[in-house]
Amino acid sequence: MASPLLSVRDLTTVIRTEGIEFEVVRGVSFDMYPNEILGLVGESGCGKTMTALSVMGLIPSPAARIAGGEVRFGDRDLVSLPEREMREVRGDDISMIFQDPLTSLDPMFSIGHLLTEVIRRHRSVSRPEAEAMALQALAEVELPDPETRMSQYPHQLSGGMRQRVMIAMALMLDPDILIADEPTTALDVTVQAQILDRLLGQQRRRGMSMLLITHDLGVVAAVADRVAVMYSGEIVEQAPVGQLFSDPQHPYTQGLLRAVPQTRHQRGALHTIPGRVPPPQFVPPGCPFSPRCSQALVRCWEEHPELVPDDGRHLRCFNPRPLTPA
Amino acid sequence: MRYLASRTVYMLVILAISSVAVFYAIRLSGGDATAARLPASATEADRETLREVLGLNDPIYQQYFTYMGRLLSGDLGNSLTNNALISKMVVEHGRNSIILGAAAFLLVFLVGVPLGMLASVRRNTLADQGIMSLSVAGMAVPNFWLALLSIWLFASVLRWLPSAGCCEPRQLILPAIVLAAEGTALTVRMTRSAMLENLDSDWVRTLRAGGLSESRVIGKHVFRNALIPIISLAGLRIGQIVGYALIVEVIFGWPGLGQVLVNAVLRRDYPVAQFFSLVLVVMVVLGNWLADLGYLAANPRLRKT
Repeated sequence: MASPLLSVRDLTTVIRTEGIEFEVVRGVSFDMYPNEILGLVGESGCGKTMTALSVMGLIPSPAARIAGGEVRFGDRDLVSLPEREMREVRGDDISMIFQDPLTSLDPMFSIGHLLTEVIRRHRSVSRPEAEAMALQALAEVELPDPETRMSQYPHQLSGGMRQRVMIAMALMLDPDILIADEPTTALDVTVQAQILDRLLGQQRRRGMSMLLITHDLGVVAAVADRVAVMYSGEIVEQAPVGQLFSDPQHPYTQGLLRAVPQTRHQRGALHTIPGRVPPPQFVPPGCPFSPRCSQALVRCWEEHPELVPDDGRHLRCFNPRPLTPA
Repeated sequence: MRYLASRTVYMLVILAISSVAVFYAIRLSGGDATAARLPASATEADRETLREVLGLNDPIYQQYFTYMGRLLSGDLGNSLTNNALISKMVVEHGRNSIILGAAAFLLVFLVGVPLGMLASVRRNTLADQGIMSLSVAGMAVPNFWLALLSIWLFASVLRWLPSAGCCEPRQLILPAIVLAAEGTALTVRMTRSAMLENLDSDWVRTLRAGGLSESRVIGKHVFRNALIPIISLAGLRIGQIVGYALIVEVIFGWPGLGQVLVNAVLRRDYPVAQFFSLVLVVMVVLGNWLADLGYLAANPRLRKT
């Protein structure tokens, strides 16, 4: 395989509340390759968004800080990069789209103003040139009537249209890497498919690398090349998408897959994983999933498992068992 | 457009109601108007004649319509005490009041907004706490006391500034600061909280993700959003300044509308008290209307839909 575009190693991010620091991202490592979609899945509160914000250098300061690890991008480490240089990377080399398009655009400025401001931040072009670039970016995400939209304000656009604007903004400077944090979660089901389609089309056309954060396993199965499953701030299993879905090894991955409703095969109650993700201040010693795991051993309660590579897969479990049909 | 129309109608209704209220309140305040005009030795018959001439014996509603009729045709009448033309008094004292009021208004926003921004950017630091403590003091100290205190300190003890008078720039400094104190304190607090509220919004993250600098994000985008509540409450600040001008002008001997009004009320000079009260009401109402216009102009969500 080619060398990775972005290499995250042992990334650890802590949040401070009332003087005590808690790890919300704990030693996360993954690689992103050109022209590839890496899916990052897990329940709410497992650290997916914090991982993405850490890569972008956008974690809320001073409440949170990166306590260790590195994010290697080309020959630079983004974690130790001065803020001034990091700003050059953001929006240009690596861009991000967020979950809620309704609140993600400044309500006081027109769409055209917001887009051209970011363009002119990174490229020394005239205002008309920047406007032409913005217009083209809006047309590429198939926003209807882009000329009119340029002079409109966010409140005049629907949620789906605003998310297209967000995508246009993220893609207009041709980034190497796009981080999409639950890009369709806040949208209507019918619009979700359209937005995802636009996003994928652009990713393929540009040969871009994409980190797709979602809790929707259906989306991941359909579009991702590789999948990393996060639990309690750590990656517990990582594998190519086919392998992960056909032969999940980690009990948490298995639980997630069983929890997907399958209308054709099953009747009766939906499978759930008992309990919930532990809050960062109450992560149990040993394997953090052990309290919810049906196959936990005594060792799982006492010893913290490492992420072990095995035949293209990375797994963090002492007692993996093949998935038995439910 | 509908917003603008409704605000304008609202303003006219307030003006009509307050003109009645001012008119009645002055008549109900008691006292004898003829005392302003006639010597103490005047007989009851003389006083009665004067009341008849001035129309003071007519029913109040009739007096109101007569008065409003004259007012609208441009006849403001004369003072009862010295027979001066009220129209002349308004121009002369109005100018002084506008100078003082405008100076205070500028202070409120040119000092209040930057201090509030500074406090929000330096949230929970010594600078923030210092600014916030000052603003609590600014709100808590009654302005008549602040006026006396500042005269004592800057005029009597330090001898830096004159204690009273009009109308040199040096004489404007103390009354303008005292008049602006409370509004500035409130504006600091409001600016700070509006800035902090907007700093937490999702779109701030989007702008940062686009690579914009902190100074751009805060100085342009967050500030632009924080400006909305600041503008919408500018009307209240105007009302405050007009109201406090009565006290401050008297203490500092600043010959403005407020000082004339206070003297007129004390001497039962009905025509003057009445008209000057109305002028203050008009200023407050007009100020609020202008603030509404500013709010409309600043908020794209109200502009087009």
